[in-house]
Amino acid sequence: MVKVLVAEDDPDIQVILKMVLTRLGKCDVSITFQGDQVFPMAKANHPELILLDVMLPEMSGFEICKLLKADPETQSVPIIFLTARSMPAEIQEAMTLGALGYLAKPFDPMALVGQINQILSPLGISIGA
Amino acid sequence: MDNPQLSFEQILNATVRMLRTTWNAKVCLFLQKDDQGELCVRAADGLSSKKTSSVKLDPAQGDIGECFSKNKIVETSAFTAFGALSPLIKRHAKKGYKFVLVPVSGETRVLGILFFGPFPNKEKILPREAELRSAGALCAVLSAHWRLYQWMSNFVPQLNHELRTPLTAVQGSIGMVLGGMFGQVGGDVKEMLEMAQKGCERTVRAIEDYINTQNPR
Repeated sequence: MVKVLVAEDDPDIQVILKMVLTRLGKCDVSITFQGDQVFPMAKANHPELILLDVMLPEMSGFEICKLLKADPETQSVPIIFLTARSMPAEIQEAMTLGALGYLAKPFDPMALVGQINQILSPLGISIGA
Repeated sequence: MDNPQLSFEQILNATVRMLRTTWNAKVCLFLQKDDQGELCVRAADGLSSKKTSSVKLDPAQGDIGECFSKNKIVETSAFTAFGALSPLIKRHAKKGYKFVLVPVSGETRVLGILFFGPFPNKEKILPREAELRSAGALCAVLSAHWRLYQWMSNFVPQLNHELRTPLTAVQGSIGMVLGGMFGQVGGDVKEMLEMAQKGCERTVRAIEDYINTQNPR
């Protein structure tokens, strides 16, 4: 069971992600809505994948990504942005900061696991198996 | 414009330079009221922009207040009354010379001031009021355009985000129901949900089309 940390501040989308990742992705999901909780949770729980929103309270997804990539303990954890901020410049910034991929909202929940696996494929990791 | 990539800052600075040379002045500044209600230097020629960037002036004080509040062109030799600007114009502030303050007026209010000079006291500036006000109006138009551009730059990504977030919940819920996560749906229920899903997809396409056609420059 792949351990996934999700940072998402919208409670409705939290429910959808938890359901999809648990039922279809067979993942062990922990969720936070607070940006400044992501880094300490990543250090404590050692997730194998992080799904990050950009607009989060207290700390943006971009800032979190920088922190995670700067720490030797968390730098190898794949980060996928899952966000409504989908302007080309925002996508470019995420990729420059070291994100593995970028998924735009709204997403098709039934296709999400496949899309995540496609992004994870170079690393030989997959969810939903 | 030869170079479409010129920023509004460059365009404003070029305009101020053009005004300075046209009026044969040594200094020309465009002071604009900022969100805190103070006048700050938006464009400068004849003074280093490094030095002028920190200048903040009270739009209600002295000659500046006279120009800004009363929408009036003011000639002044009170060189020491310009707060943080006074030390910067000191070398140009000679006896027998004056500076001219021109209101930069929008349709309904004064947005800022054009600060020109020095001119010899004997030079008659006020009879050329129409020319001066046109120079002010030019800066007002550029300033309004710049503000609109800045507003659009923030508005478009914000709109994108604000529309996509609730759509994610709507489309996600419908997608899970249609995908059979809670059991099979059929008949009229399925048809209605598919209709709602198509509506969501159409909205997303409309947002994407809108963003792709936005180019505020």
